[in-house]
Amino acid sequence: MLRLAEHIDRVSTAIGRAAAWLVLAVVLVQFAVVLLRYALGIGSIWLQESIVYAHALAFLLAAAWVLKTGAHVRVDVFYRDARPRTRALIDLLGTIFLLLPMAALILWVSLPYAARAWAIFERSQETSGLPLVFLLRTAIPVFAALLILQGVAELFRAADVLRRKR
Amino acid sequence: MALGDILDLLMFAAVLGLLLAGYPVAFVLGGTAIIFSFAGHFLGVFDLGLLQALPQRIYGVMTNEVLIAIPLFVFMGVMLERSKVAEDLLDTVGRLFGRVAGGLGYAVTIVGALLGASTGVVGATAVTMGLITLPAMLKAGYDKRFACGSVAAAATLTQIIPPATVLVVLGDQLGIAYQQAQLAKGDFAPGAVTVGDLFAGALIPGLLLTGMYLIYQGAVAVLTPGRVPATSGRGGGATPSWRELLRALVAPLALILAVLGSILGGIATPTEAASVGAVGAMLLAARRILAHKRAHEFTGVLRSALESTLQLTSMIFVILIGATVFSLVFRGLGGDETVHRALADLPGGTNAAILIVMIAIFLLGFFLDFFEIVFIIVPVVAPVLLRMEGVDPVWLGVMMAVNLQTSFMHPPLGATLFYLRSVAPPVVKTTDLYLGIIPFVVIQLFALVVLWFLPQLATWLPQILYGS
Repeated sequence: MLRLAEHIDRVSTAIGRAAAWLVLAVVLVQFAVVLLRYALGIGSIWLQESIVYAHALAFLLAAAWVLKTGAHVRVDVFYRDARPRTRALIDLLGTIFLLLPMAALILWVSLPYAARAWAIFERSQETSGLPLVFLLRTAIPVFAALLILQGVAELFRAADVLRRKR
Repeated sequence: MALGDILDLLMFAAVLGLLLAGYPVAFVLGGTAIIFSFAGHFLGVFDLGLLQALPQRIYGVMTNEVLIAIPLFVFMGVMLERSKVAEDLLDTVGRLFGRVAGGLGYAVTIVGALLGASTGVVGATAVTMGLITLPAMLKAGYDKRFACGSVAAAATLTQIIPPATVLVVLGDQLGIAYQQAQLAKGDFAPGAVTVGDLFAGALIPGLLLTGMYLIYQGAVAVLTPGRVPATSGRGGGATPSWRELLRALVAPLALILAVLGSILGGIATPTEAASVGAVGAMLLAARRILAHKRAHEFTGVLRSALESTLQLTSMIFVILIGATVFSLVFRGLGGDETVHRALADLPGGTNAAILIVMIAIFLLGFFLDFFEIVFIIVPVVAPVLLRMEGVDPVWLGVMMAVNLQTSFMHPPLGATLFYLRSVAPPVVKTTDLYLGIIPFVVIQLFALVVLWFLPQLATWLPQILYGS
């Protein structure tokens, strides 16, 4: 079980760290848009939209990695000083009753939502925008699926701590 | 009263309870809401079809162009910190003022205000400043309590001085709430409240707080110079040369002022200005790294800055997604109406409603971060408050921000104190932290009272700049 958890960790980490480069793209492309607009008076809708895409993909794809690294913020007034077993129990119950239902529900409602966009290969409402709205909408179920996957890994790890003898 | 009628309140209580257990906030918000949506369904008070709206809500978060300023400002701050540009700034200002009694205290406050402007993440600033300045102040023979209080208070300035990241989020949410309130009032062509308005509104109160900190520190230096000795000849380092000043101080200062100025001047949107700030921070970082002949380190610093930025950004947006699920279910259970009735029928009218909301926010600030409070509380209470006569949205936002800033430094649960505790040397006792921060808490409360009676402090500048 732990080996499976480690495999999942590697997938989440690889995706998250790759997504970090999208942040650089957001910085540079947004800066380019500013230069074009203020220095040359040129506006580009598809360039502007590509920033939105990069930003949205970055934070959605990284969510599972953030879960793995424990960087999703907690109220740690009690958690900070709790024993490892207590923490594992909180993580186990939280994953089963909070994270997994939330991610599963988002996946459940967003699959038909994305499918509708695929059915017409939905494009930007702007004529000169990106014709890839169906891909952007698909990022929602992907985000949910990655969270579920990483949630399972966290579940295994918490269960392992609890199963060990005191 | 039937169970189904109070499900909204039960859900709110359940969220607070579960949050205290310590599971990540984003999933407590979303997960609890889903449990209650099914409970509501079985009790016949919630229509599960409402959840079909979720993907479009999430898509709205993904395509909100205002919020793109968040990763850009965070990257700017992280880059300045990782490349040690921020450290140079702190060191140089410290040496500039170190020669006079209390000088290191002034330096911490001023740099806190400047760094705050760039990072806007209270934890990061508290850790950076705590690591660098606390040892320097203790070495110079400063009173431990004064040193701790100064560093913790300066770190919270990150929450109020624009372009603080939290103000981007608050401005965005207030803008949505304001439109809802105007529509509910029957105004179908409402004016807009923007992030720029909130930046402009927070500037004077932020500078006022900085000024009051400095006055307090000056008073301590005059009355009890022994607590805050000058660093001459005690390892404080030489007074910086003009070239050093230019390199360490002027360039970051110019960058921050350019970013802020172009937003306040209405030349650029916060997102546009933030991208200039981010690229500027990269250039400053590159120059510092090249000056130390460590060109090969640049990619490493860049990569780690990008990864930290994304972790923080993703964390914020996943909370926003969790809060979106929460708000949707809360509304579906009739929570909006409950809050409206509770606030609108108070005996003291508008003032009592605002006071109660402020106290609630202050107490929540002990447990929750700025982002969570903005995502959970503002969508619920702000539309109600803004519907009342004479409540200015910018003023309300600034009050909330100063209030939370106070909450973050209030012992024993203020978040800043925990961050500082984690990096403070062992000679500093926790009681030193608690006692040292008290004068600053008093200053904050005083500022809140002043803001309450002089709302012009927050509303004057946006009116002058944007005429709204």
